[in-house]
Amino acid sequence: MNGPLIVQSDKTLLLEVDHEQAADCRRAIAPFAELERAPEHIHTYRVTPLGLWNARAAGHDAEQVVDALVEYSRYPVPHALLVDIAETMDRYGRLTLSKHPAHGLVLTTTDRPVLEEVLKSKRIAPLVGTRIDADTVAVHPSERGQIKQTLLKLGWPAEDLAGYVDGEAHPIDLAEDGWALRPYQKQAVENFWHGGSGVVVLPCGAGKTLVGAGAMAQARSTTLILVTNTVSARQWKHELVKRTSLTEDEIGEYSGTRKEIRPVTIATYQVLTTRRKGVYPHLELFDSRDWGLIVYDEVHLLPAPVFKFTADLQARRRLGLTATLVREDGRESDVFSLIGPKRFDAPWKEIEAQGYIAPADCVEVRVNLTDSERLAYATAETEEKYRFCATTDTKRKVTEAIVRRFAGQQILVIGQYIDQLDELGEHLGAPVIKGETSNAQREKLFESFRQGEISVLVVSKVANFSIDLPEATVAIQVSGTFGSRQEEAQRLGRVLRPKADGHQAHFYSVVARDTLDQDFAAHRQRFLAEQGYAYRIMDADDVLAEGS
Amino acid sequence: MSTEEKSAAPRSLAEALRVREDVSLAALLRSRPDLITPVPTDLTQLATRAGTRASVVRALERLDRFALQTAEALAVAPDPASYGELLALMGGDEEDPVVAAALPRAAALLREQALVWGADDRLRLVRTARELLAPSPQHPSPTGLGPTVREATAGMSPGRIQEILTAVGLPSTHDSVSAVSALGALFADRRRMAALLAELPGESREVLARLMWGPPYGQVTHDPAAHLRALLDRGLLLPTAPGTVVLPREVALHLRAGRAHRTPEPVPPPVEAAASHRPQVVDATAAGQALAALATVAELLKEWDEGGPAVLRAGGLSVRDLKRTAVALDVPEPVAAFWVELAYGAGLIASDGEADERYAATPAYDEWRELPPAERWAHLAAVWLTATRTPGVVGGRDAKDRTLSALGPNLDRSAAPEVRHRVLALLAGLPEGASPAEESVLARLRWERPLRGPRGEQREAGSTRDEDLRGRIARWTLSEAELLGVTGRGALAAPGRALIGAPEAPRPAAEAQESEPEGPGDKLPVHHHRMPPVAAPPTAAERAAATAAAARLLAPLFPEPLDHVLLQADLTAVAPGPLERGLADVLGVLADVESKGGATVYRFTPGSVRRALDAGQSAADLHTFLARHSRTPVPQPLTYLIDDVARRHGRLRVGAASAYVRCDDDATLDEILADKRAAGLGLRRLAPTVLAAQADPAALLEGLRAIGFAPAAESAAGDVLIARADSHRTPPRAAPEPVPDGPPAPDDTLLSAAVRAVRAGDLAATTPRKPGPGGEGGGEDAAPDGALPRTGAAETLATMQAAVLTGEALWIGYVNAEGAASQRVIAPIRVEGGFVTAYDHTADEVRTYPLHRITGVAELADDEG
Repeated sequence: MNGPLIVQSDKTLLLEVDHEQAADCRRAIAPFAELERAPEHIHTYRVTPLGLWNARAAGHDAEQVVDALVEYSRYPVPHALLVDIAETMDRYGRLTLSKHPAHGLVLTTTDRPVLEEVLKSKRIAPLVGTRIDADTVAVHPSERGQIKQTLLKLGWPAEDLAGYVDGEAHPIDLAEDGWALRPYQKQAVENFWHGGSGVVVLPCGAGKTLVGAGAMAQARSTTLILVTNTVSARQWKHELVKRTSLTEDEIGEYSGTRKEIRPVTIATYQVLTTRRKGVYPHLELFDSRDWGLIVYDEVHLLPAPVFKFTADLQARRRLGLTATLVREDGRESDVFSLIGPKRFDAPWKEIEAQGYIAPADCVEVRVNLTDSERLAYATAETEEKYRFCATTDTKRKVTEAIVRRFAGQQILVIGQYIDQLDELGEHLGAPVIKGETSNAQREKLFESFRQGEISVLVVSKVANFSIDLPEATVAIQVSGTFGSRQEEAQRLGRVLRPKADGHQAHFYSVVARDTLDQDFAAHRQRFLAEQGYAYRIMDADDVLAEGS
Repeated sequence: MSTEEKSAAPRSLAEALRVREDVSLAALLRSRPDLITPVPTDLTQLATRAGTRASVVRALERLDRFALQTAEALAVAPDPASYGELLALMGGDEEDPVVAAALPRAAALLREQALVWGADDRLRLVRTARELLAPSPQHPSPTGLGPTVREATAGMSPGRIQEILTAVGLPSTHDSVSAVSALGALFADRRRMAALLAELPGESREVLARLMWGPPYGQVTHDPAAHLRALLDRGLLLPTAPGTVVLPREVALHLRAGRAHRTPEPVPPPVEAAASHRPQVVDATAAGQALAALATVAELLKEWDEGGPAVLRAGGLSVRDLKRTAVALDVPEPVAAFWVELAYGAGLIASDGEADERYAATPAYDEWRELPPAERWAHLAAVWLTATRTPGVVGGRDAKDRTLSALGPNLDRSAAPEVRHRVLALLAGLPEGASPAEESVLARLRWERPLRGPRGEQREAGSTRDEDLRGRIARWTLSEAELLGVTGRGALAAPGRALIGAPEAPRPAAEAQESEPEGPGDKLPVHHHRMPPVAAPPTAAERAAATAAAARLLAPLFPEPLDHVLLQADLTAVAPGPLERGLADVLGVLADVESKGGATVYRFTPGSVRRALDAGQSAADLHTFLARHSRTPVPQPLTYLIDDVARRHGRLRVGAASAYVRCDDDATLDEILADKRAAGLGLRRLAPTVLAAQADPAALLEGLRAIGFAPAAESAAGDVLIARADSHRTPPRAAPEPVPDGPPAPDDTLLSAAVRAVRAGDLAATTPRKPGPGGEGGGEDAAPDGALPRTGAAETLATMQAAVLTGEALWIGYVNAEGAASQRVIAPIRVEGGFVTAYDHTADEVRTYPLHRITGVAELADDEG
């Protein structure tokens, strides 16, 4: 017994990455265990019910899971844990949703008491129709998503075998001229298509858009793409035109400014969730065409109302794309039940090792508040405290020093507070992109940044998502949305696109010492450290000394 | 064991005992230890005691199923019965060979236990046992048999009996006794009986078939249908009460082909293996679990190190504290209760006995900690094996509906050690590496110590639960053994095997069968001549040897402790195996444990680093420590974290002072500090112009004045306080209530109760009574048919027992626990175990009196009405 894996009684799995069997072990446990932390020596996976059900949905059985654990484990696996795994996995598939020739959608069970148990639940009762026989009950087709969501909460996830509608056919092909899907992208598309619906988890910069395009080329039907914002929508359109057989005219944009519905339509979450007089006026978009595929970009940001609409779209294929399944609001289970199980993921570091994303050097620079600032910080109102420490003047000096140090490279300065950004922009002589900047202006600035006409760009959180800035090699984060982990991931993602010259990327966080800022930074960084991006910590004085 | 009573057949149990060999008497006393507390003076007394109800019940409850079935069969057999008759009842007419092979053992066992006596041709069941086991309308027998023809026809008119004789074609007789005998003989005669039954209509035979396995009673209307009438006419059904009929025992036995039991169970059900694992896997898993057990106990003690949870007023741990502990240990609550109880049983934790009582580690814990891991485990396991406290009942309710709390009172279940030992012994009987099917273990235990059939309601509610308890204890034993690492993947591991004193060397399966007759492959009944072990409890020395052997076997199974950890940039340290003690202790302070199991994951946080600094470590110490024990370079953020926390650590200082002296003039303060008379004030200079004092402000003022200064007192806000005597006030107080003269006027309830008590006392004092013989004390009873000297205690007992049967009221003299004598009138309900339970007319309720406190007894002259 000298395997690479240690199975802990709290259902975490510790994988020693330097062990010769580590790669085999990872492949064996990946289907059912979520990678939780991937620091340099020991990776931590967690076995959760969702993970086990994911594995069941992907066709693995308890036997395989137990075998994988027992085979690679260094120490004896706690018996109780094996029993628990078998029992948990056994819960999946006791109930199945399927099509019935006479009754439409039906919920069938292989274990009658389970059906009795769930039917007793008050939350299930309104979703089901007549009892067809002892093991079968009719389900209103419109409640297909709702019932899956509720059953999952009750701990009896249903297997959805009711299939998908094909949707309106539309020819889409990948235009692989001089490029090709990377192996992991191909694998992701394949896994998704095989599973029917589900989520693909890839790090920022690993080409999620292409996975989307690949899926569309598989589906060859009309597609609705939901993205976070307008800039991102344009980005998608640009990319699709470039990478597929689709033309500009086939792709519509459905946003605050334009309301085009075409065979491929890209809509923003914002426009969908706009409410007027208590109703969502743009909901008809979902019914406006017979969509064969719905793509959700950045699933971890999916707003709550979209979950609700999604519950009604269970007969359509759904593809979720994200860099992380971590949701700050903890609605991972809704993603599982409504969009689908995780179909593919690859750890960040692994893709970096394959050279598809740039290696990054992460540095946290700690600045000291001056004595007068400390006093002012201590007396600030609680809700003002973070803003106060995050926008301290010293940060400006440090930022300038870093910018000086990397003069000539493409630098992004990212922050949360407009005043601070404006001030930085002024001092650095760089343009500022913020919420009020018009889309045209944004695109213009992005374009000139891409062309290298300007080398420093100051952006607010509007640039957090989905804008492609291929040549940024240095990002300096001066303030963030409190302790948001996914924001940190997105921002790091800005500099991780592979560089033409194989340059190392740099990610700086400027943090005020001994304040809330530092606590939030620690929270955000922990996430990245767990992804294998170790931080160095530097004192501001050292940075200033280096920079001068 | 065929009893060697070659001399004249014994006439009583006492005589039967007298001719027994010493070995056989010793066996009796070992299996029924209640007979020698106190040691009886002679065999007559021993026989008497062996015949008391409490002792017989206890002995019956400890019989295995087949022996009990044999006893039940004897209870429905003629008294005395021959071995042949008994065999016929057990084996039926076709003589089941398995039963025939097993019966000698059961008979010998019953004889050894002094439940049966007499030679093989005259087997007699002890009278009390017969009464307990024989069927009666109130207490149907587990055999499902009804009364004999003789019993069922008692009180039937002679004319009716003669009619029956005629109906079955027997010649009429001149008296009922011979008529009943003739009828009984007919029913017992298989051939004639078959002919008789053949005449009956099919419907009638169906009725008989319905009643044949019991219960033997049925309802009939006033005007029974023809097929029932046919049965009644022939005496195949006999009336017992209006509308009720019974199937006579002889008829039932005929229908059953002579068998007293539907399913005799001569062979103990085998313990079946549910799964089989390689012994190495079993041992490794068990060792892993044993290690986890040690870690859990250590963690529990650490959790409670600085003051554990409070002790409830009634003793024990509150539900909330148990919940909290369960969360801290990350286990379900019942499991947490198990660990807490285990640590308590091992003497590692106890109540601290302070005014504000809390649980805390005992000094024994510190000693235990110093032991090598295997011995630590062996200590826990040995304690677990013999403990009577059963954590399994925690959370349940006791007889008084109070919640049973962990560490609280009433958790002792005396059966626990024996059941635990037995379960493990059964596991040891399986081939190595085989885990048992739980149900088969339970079935086996039920066979060895069966619930006494539908007789349950006869015993007190408490003991019914106790029976059920054995099964529950067995289940708990299986799960606890797994938790503790006595078993691994359900199979007994080598250290566990050694722990119960089972042979430790792995044996080939064939050999195992021979030495362990309980083995599953062992189907030959001859092996069962050996008794399931009458728990001859191992001596302390044997237990110590077994424990040491277990520790010896376990030690090499534990992984070597590591002296290094892996540090990672996400501020965690992973110990990929158990750590050396010192290392684990320091890391435990320096970092928080995040995940346990084979490995341990530690997380460094500012709080945990501060804790290490508070414990007296310096940043440099910590750096050195990490550098020495890390196999990988210390990550920069961790170094930074330690420095960052150390930088701020101790910058603020906090201390206690009772008062201060403030003065703008440094020189004055110098003067005070230099003055010897100020030494008692505990002054210390905090700043040039401030002194802190340990003395309180009043004493400080007084002291400074005594030295010759003129200090002024300062308020919290810094103002000078003006000294002025305050008026003294009490806290709010209520005005006194008026106290009237004499007691309050009695109400109606009180009055009527008083009157009843007076009247009852009157009855006891004035009832004319028969004079009882003098009470010299020292009771001795004899065998049922022996002449006996009568003494006071015996007379008391006899009169009481008689009164139970007749339902008469008695007059008794009674001395209570304080020594006060009183006279009472009671109607005894039950005499048992030295107590009489009776309806007390004097107190107007049911009470229980110890017989030894009853000074004398007399019958009331008149029937009280």
